[in-house]
Parts: sequence; C-alpha cells; structure tokens
Amino acid sequence: MEALTAIPPFVYVLAVALLMPLLSRRVGHALGVLATGVVVPVALLTPEGAHWAVQLFSFDVVLFNVDEFSRLMGLIFGFIGAIAVLYSYATEASNKQTAYALTYVGTSIGAVFAGDWLTLVFFWELMAVTSTLLVWDYGGKAVRAGFRYAVLHGIGGSLVLAAIVWHYAEVGSFLFSASTGIVGAGPAVLALAAIGIGVNVGFVGLHAWLPDTYPRPHVAASVFLCVYTTKTGVYAMYRAFPEGHLWLAYMGGAMAVFGATMAVLQKDMRRLLSYHIQSQVGYMIAGIGIGTTVATAGAFGHVFNHILYKSLLFMTVGVVIYRTGEESLKYVGGLARDMPITAGAFVVAALSIAGFPGFNGFVSKGMIIAEAHYKHLDVVWYLLLAGGVGTFLSFIKLGWYAFYEGSYDGEVRDANGIQKVAMVSVAVLCIVYGFFPDALFAILPGNEGGFDYTTYTFGHVVEGLILAALGIVGFAILKKPLDRIGRVPDIDAIYNPLAFYGTRALVRGVTESYAAVDRAAVGVAGGVSTTLRNPETVVRRAVGREEADATGEDESAWPLSLHAGIGTSILLLTAVATVGIALLVVA
Amino acid sequence: MNELLPLLVAIPLVGAVASITLGSWSDRLAWPVTFLTMLVHVGLATAVASTVYRGGTPLATAVGGFTPPFGIELVVDGLNAAILVLVSAVAVGVLVYARRAGPHSVAFHTGYLLLVAGLSGMTITGDMFNLYVFLEITGLAAYALVATGDDGRAAVGALKYLLVGTVGASLFLIGIGYAFVATGTLNMADLAEKLATADPTLVGASFALVVTGLAVKTALFPLHTWQPEAYASAPDSVSGLIAALVSTVSAYALARVTFSVYTVDFLTSSAFAQEFLLGLAGISIVAGSLLAVMQTEIKRMLAYSSVSQFGLVVAGVAIANEAAVTGSLIHLVGHAVMKGGLFLAAGALAVVAGARTVEDYDGLGARAPLLSAAFAVLSLSMVGIPPAVGFVGKWYIALGAIQAESWPIAVVILVSTLLTLAYFLRLVERMYFRTSSDDVTSSTGTGATAVADGGDDTDDGLTRPSAGMVAVVVVAALLAVGLGPLVSTFEPLLEPTLETLLQL
Repeated sequence: MEALTAIPPFVYVLAVALLMPLLSRRVGHALGVLATGVVVPVALLTPEGAHWAVQLFSFDVVLFNVDEFSRLMGLIFGFIGAIAVLYSYATEASNKQTAYALTYVGTSIGAVFAGDWLTLVFFWELMAVTSTLLVWDYGGKAVRAGFRYAVLHGIGGSLVLAAIVWHYAEVGSFLFSASTGIVGAGPAVLALAAIGIGVNVGFVGLHAWLPDTYPRPHVAASVFLCVYTTKTGVYAMYRAFPEGHLWLAYMGGAMAVFGATMAVLQKDMRRLLSYHIQSQVGYMIAGIGIGTTVATAGAFGHVFNHILYKSLLFMTVGVVIYRTGEESLKYVGGLARDMPITAGAFVVAALSIAGFPGFNGFVSKGMIIAEAHYKHLDVVWYLLLAGGVGTFLSFIKLGWYAFYEGSYDGEVRDANGIQKVAMVSVAVLCIVYGFFPDALFAILPGNEGGFDYTTYTFGHVVEGLILAALGIVGFAILKKPLDRIGRVPDIDAIYNPLAFYGTRALVRGVTESYAAVDRAAVGVAGGVSTTLRNPETVVRRAVGREEADATGEDESAWPLSLHAGIGTSILLLTAVATVGIALLVVA
Repeated sequence: MNELLPLLVAIPLVGAVASITLGSWSDRLAWPVTFLTMLVHVGLATAVASTVYRGGTPLATAVGGFTPPFGIELVVDGLNAAILVLVSAVAVGVLVYARRAGPHSVAFHTGYLLLVAGLSGMTITGDMFNLYVFLEITGLAAYALVATGDDGRAAVGALKYLLVGTVGASLFLIGIGYAFVATGTLNMADLAEKLATADPTLVGASFALVVTGLAVKTALFPLHTWQPEAYASAPDSVSGLIAALVSTVSAYALARVTFSVYTVDFLTSSAFAQEFLLGLAGISIVAGSLLAVMQTEIKRMLAYSSVSQFGLVVAGVAIANEAAVTGSLIHLVGHAVMKGGLFLAAGALAVVAGARTVEDYDGLGARAPLLSAAFAVLSLSMVGIPPAVGFVGKWYIALGAIQAESWPIAVVILVSTLLTLAYFLRLVERMYFRTSSDDVTSSTGTGATAVADGGDDTDDGLTRPSAGMVAVVVVAALLAVGLGPLVSTFEPLLEPTLETLLQL
C-alpha cells in the first residue's frame, strides 16, 4: 500500500512525456502506454484519503487525494490515455506530438487527483497550456484555432481563479474538505465559478472553441482532446456544486439540445463529433445540477461511458480520415464494404452514444433522465429526451453517409492491426457495461448497497426504442433538406469579429486618447510659452486673424506621437505632483 | 556585523576608484578589478542578510560615531536584506554577461561600481536626506551608463532620463524639506515618531512630493516617459542591469518611506493618501500592459512591461496588509531576476540572429534553442504560470487585495495577467510555431547581414554569444522557476519585520 501512494500518478506520466523526445518511437510510445496504464491499478487500489498533504506557497494542499469521485476519473483517464497513446503510435503521430499529449494527460490526471482548489487550478491552467501546445503542434489552420482556444481558456481560468481566491477569503482554506463546494459572500462567486468552469464544459454561448479546435489537429490529437478538458470540467463542476444547482440542470438540458441540433447540421465529421461532446456533457451537467445521489452517480457514469464511446468515435472517424485523407462527409461514402471492423466499431459507439438499450450510454443517460423525471424537472426532462432524438438522428446521418450510402473512389484498406486492437477493446467495454450495468454501478460514487434505479425495465427500454424510432423517422424526413445546407454559422461568427474589433478599438482608443492628451498638454504648454514670448500675436489670433496658417504650423511642429518629449514629461510630472498635493492637502 | 554595514557602500566606491586608476594604466584590468570588488560585495551582503534573517532583529549602525537622530544611520532589516542580496547578486550576474557582451570601456566599469554603491546606499540607509544623496548617485551613474551606448539614440535617451530624473529627484528633495520643516529631523525612525503629531498640511504635501519623486524613479505611468527610451537605447548589459535594479530599489525606497517614515497609520487615516498610491499603481498596471502590447521593438516592449509590473508592486505597498506587502517584496525580487534575464536574453538573441523586433523572433526556437527556451521560461514566469516566482508574487498581492476588499485592484491584477499573456504568448508562439522568413534568404547569402547587424549592436564584432552570456541567462531562467517554491521557507523569516512595519 505504501508503494501505491509513494508517487502521485501525474509524476510518472509527465516524466515519460519529458523522456519522449529522447527515445525511439516504439520505446517512447510503449513507455507512454505503460505510464498511463499504471494509473488504472493505482487508482483502483489506493486506499481512500488525502495522500501527499503538503504546503505549497505556505498554503495547505493535497496533491494526491483519493475518494470515489477522483478514483473513477483516474481510472478512466488512465485507461483511455493508454488506448490513445497506442492509437497515436498506430496513426503515425510524431514523438513530439505524443509528448505534448502526455503532458496534457499528466496535468489532467493531476487535476482530478487534487485534494484542494489551489492544486486543481494549478493543473487546470497547465492543461490549458499543454492542450494548446498539442493543437499548435499540427501547424496550419490549427494555429489560429489554438490561439482562440488559448484566449478563451485563459479567460475561463482567470474567472475560476477569481472565484477560488474569493472562496479562500471566505473559508480560509483551499481544501475540498474544508467546505461543501464553492462558498462565497454572495451569488457572484458561484456565478464566477460556474461560468469559469462553464468555458471548459462548453456552456451554450461559451462552447464555440470546441467545434472550432477539435477538428483541426492530427486525428490522434483529437482522441486525446475529446477526453480530458471537458470531463475535468465536469469533475470540477461537481467539486464546486456537490449539492447541485437548478440553473445547472437547465443549462445541461439546453446544451444537450443545442449540441445535438448543431451536430445534425454538420458535414465535417470531426466537427459533428465535437458538437456531440457539448451535447453529451450537457447530460452530465444536468445530472450534477439535479444533484441527487442517483443523478450525480449517473453524471459520473456518463463521464465514464462517454469517454469510452466518444474516444472510440474519434478513433473510427480518425481511421477514415487517416485512410482517405478526407474530412468531410461529402467526399466519402460506402466505406463499410472496405472497412468492416471500423464500421462495426462505429456502429457500437454510435448506438452507445445514442443510448440504445444494450449499450453503455443507455445505462448512465437513463439514470439522469429518470432523475429529472422523478424530481419533476419537466423542462429538463423534455430537453434531455429531445437531445436523445437529435443524437440518434445525427449518428444515423454520419453512419449513412460515411459507411453505407454512395461509394468512395480509390483503394481503401481497413484500420491497421494496432488501431484494430485499440478500437475493438474499447468497443467490447461499451457492450459489456451495457449488458452488465452492475459492473458500472460497482465503481460509481454514492453506491452504498446499490442504487434506487433499475436499468432494464419495460418503460426504460421502450423509451430508448421510441427515441431511436423518432431518430430514424426524423432522418428520413430531414435527409433532403439537410443535404442542401451549407456550413452553419455558430456563435463564434459573432464573437470572434467582436473580440477582434473590440481589442482593436480598445488599443486605438487608448492610443488616440493618449495622443489627444499629449496634444492637449503640448498645446497648453506651447500656448503658454507663445503667449509669454509674443503676446501680441496671441491677442491677434484670439481676435480671429491668422488662424489658418497658425494651425498648419502647429501640426507640422508637433507630429502625433506616442513618445512624450522631454518637455511633455516634465509637464506630466508637474501635473501628477499637483494632483497629489491637491488631493492630500486641500481635501 | 553592525560595524561592517558602511563597507557595503564603501567597497564599491573604493573599487570604482581602483578600476579607473588601474584601468587608465591598462584597459584589460578594469573588468577583473570590478569583478573582484563585486565578489567581496556579494559575500558581505550575503553575510549581513543571513545574520538579519537568522537573528530576526535588524542590524543598525551610526556612521562615523555621530549618534542618530543627528548622525546618519544605516539599518538592515528583513525588508531590505533581500533587496541588498538581490542588488549584489544581479550585479555580479550582469557583469559576467558584460565580460563578452561589452561595453568594455573603463568608464563603464567605474560607472557600474558607482551604480552599485548608490543602490546599496539607497537600500540600507535609515536617513531621509542620505536616501536623497544615494538616489542622486544612483541616478547620475545610471544616466552615464545609458550614454555608454555609442550612437546618438543612447545620448538622447540618456539626456531625457537625466532631465526627467533630476526633476523627479528635486521633487523628492522638496518633499523631504517639508518633512524637515514640520519636524526638524531627517532620521527615518525619528521622523516616524514626530510626523504623527506634526502639522497635517505639511505632512500631506511632503508625502505627495516624495511619492511623486520616487514614482518617477520607479517609472509609474504617466511618469514613465524616460524609461522605454533609456532601456531601449542603452547597451544590452546596461539595460539588463538598470531594468533589474534601479526601478526595483526605487520601489523599495517607496515602500520603506511609506512604512518607516509616514507609517501605515498615516496611509489609512489620511484622506486620499492610499487612494493616490493605488490610483497611480492601478493606472500603471493597465496602461503599461496596453502600451507593451502595442510595441514592435522587443526592448521597448519589455520596458513597458516593467511599468505594468511596478504598478503591481506599488499596489501591494498601497494595500499595506501582510499578504500584499509580502507579495510586493517577492515580486520586486522575482521581477528583477525575470526582467534582468529577459533583457540579457534579448541581447544574446540579438547577437545570434539580429533579432530586435517582434517579427524577428519567427523561428528563433530552432536557431538558438537554449536561449529561446530560457526566454520562453522567463516570459511564462512573468505571465504568472505557477510554480514560477512570477505567479507567487502576483498571487500574494491579489490575495492581499481581496483580503482588503479593494476589488478594483483585484480585477485590474487579473486583467493585467491576461494582457501580459497577450504580449508574451505572441513571442513564444513566434519563436516555436513559425518558421523564420530569414531561413530561406540566409542560404542565399543575405543571412550574413543579419549576423553583421548583431555584431554592430555590440560594437566589437561579436557574432556568437559567449558561454558566460548564455549561462547567465539560463541561471536567471532557473532562478525564476526555482525561487517560487522557496517562498514558503522565506515567508516566515519575513514575519517579524512585517509586524514592525505594518504595526500589527
């Protein structure tokens, strides 16, 4: 037991990331699989409690905190990290890219095993940096998207930091154990925390980075990205609001519908999947917002299941892109004939994410929807059901165009051996957890002698089948109009230009107003000295003569400039001293 | 140990004389003499600081046996012991850098030691008029050092620095005059007692003038106008030294005067005293960052960044609670290491690739991997990425602002972090994620001009940074990261001093 807690898990993942550039591809990736894989047994076996309670900047912090929530997160983060590294190896990712990816995984693991807000936010900020590097590494269009990503996460991180500092001012400790969630003097601190974390989980309106960034980098990088940032956000949201919050439930419902709707309209395969991250995270946020034991367990179950099937989806779509080089549904089709294994894995993942009975998504999604119904949150309930229909619809669309209808000209081979291993092992888990919900319940938090929820009742199964039927009908009706839709603008079409022009206006404003102050000050000084030297001209000018040539001279003598001259500097100095004396003596 | 305090000023003064005497005999002796003097100085400074921190009580001595309040007193407590070591250590580091990077003139080395003497004096003096004297010595040495760059731009920059700096120092002197009229004493400890009962009008006017004078030297917006041009036009070694130390010691003097002369009681009870300081600081933080974002020349950008960072430090002083003042001291030390390192790194990168503007930094990561890495680490530390020292300082100041419930400053600090991110991230992105446009041309022969440009800047045809130059930059980067975690051991050492200063 001692050995398990000797080193916090993020240490060895980060260590391998640092070694990566020095090693060969084979050895490096093998070590990467090992380091992330080891997190699984460590998370399972480490006894609950706060290990590594130390002082950081003279505050009490806990670097390795194990409870049922962080255990679940560590378990799935480690497992999928290993799968994703394996997939990276098979998809010809460079050592450098996998090294960035491992720093990203390591910091995420550090974040979920944090036992206090300070450590959490520390890793949170590092995650923003490392994931940006992972996106940037691909170059091209990914660089600009990475920039927007970094800026948005910078803002989100600052909000979280502000909330945490405020929380500290109230509570006097950063430790999770010191309070129940985020505590503040008023609702403002809760809003700060929710919005700051909301950037990471993709609240409607704050989500645009998600479909903007995730489709752009290397296909293996997308597999990493789709797992860690948003799920760490869900975990942090639980830490901030362990007892739920009604508004979160509504926001979750809105995300589920909005994400699914936007997804239906997409042609770019990875962009479609990215919108589904928002939609699925909506279910988790709704679960946390509802806040009952079953709902929270459902939310964390959904985190666990979602990571499985969403990474599987990104892997299958990644294989399609890897083999064909095409990103858009317009240019692929009928691939099921050439890539049976990939298509099979896709079908499993699609049925899981859509929540079809017999697959893992059905279990956890059902828990959240049932709790919404049980707590009489009718609006949330309908939103979550509607999101389910949208999910069916868009995955029928994706499967239809990519794997069934039409044909792709040119040779296509199925996934290579290691890719198959990665995909099939995850697909098997999706089915296992679907058929044996108790296996999932065993690792969910809040499970003291089972949940008050039965997965396979007549009602639940019928509900799942109806949603599927609605999806099929919807697809049949919407197929024609959907073909004609081009690229649909999202909210970033508004706020990217807004931010750009806003910043430019700000910079311009500062420059211009400084220049105006500069001009005014110089004008006054110049006026005073001119008046002293030749009062007659000034008097004459005041009367109204010689106005035209005088202004012309002024402008050439004092060109607009940010550089204050020596005279201006002294004038400013005098002005400040005057203001200071006036304030202190006269007031 | 007490009686050794005057030596902290005397040693560099004697060294200055020695370097000019021996230097006039042979140019080659100037550097070794300067270096030897600095080694002795750093040893003495470290010994003094460790005595202070271990003993927990201040060291004090009356110069020449004239007892205070009439004689001049030198005092070292927990606040200035750290600054003293910083001054000494940074000066040694920059000197190592300057061995190859230049300037190599005897005048430079003499001016260098005079500057160290002035800075050490400002740091340890316990007398207001003596502070003014050392402020002038520091100023004059700094003007002369800026002017050692041998183009016209440096001369104009130095002249502007001289004029604005002198007016600032004069205002400071007038402020001391008012305090003297009000109390009849110049000793800091004595002033603190007597100012409490003196005429509030005189005290208020004196405070306003003293703060304005020191704010010029610290380069707070809008009194910073001398600073970007002086830093940008000076030789790289001089920019590094001045950026790291002169404003830092002035900001320290501002803190010392505020707490040890006017006292926290005056700051909080007197109308608008705190608001005046906070206003200057807040405007500085925002305006400095915005101006830095707009710059295209690297050294000007770094200079404006200093305006913003010293705004933070002064904000901490103005808030005047334990967390904020701790943060100010940490940020003073941390900023000196980071900004000095950045200027030296910028100088070394200019030697490697002729890179002087933001555009020139495209693809530098591949051309000068070690220097670029150090530059990137220092930049990120400046932004405040934990666990670097830049984060710790900001963190304490922000915490202090929130404890004091001065929300505008707390917001300003968070916003400034974003702006700092904007101008440093831009460079990091250029260095690592773009390819240099020069790469294509350098193979066709025009790359040689870039190298020649670098050589011109350092006036002796230096085409590659020496191992010493790179080492100094790398050590600065390591310190920027390494000092952060050390803060928790340093903080308890500071507590007795803060209790006295803040009258807790």
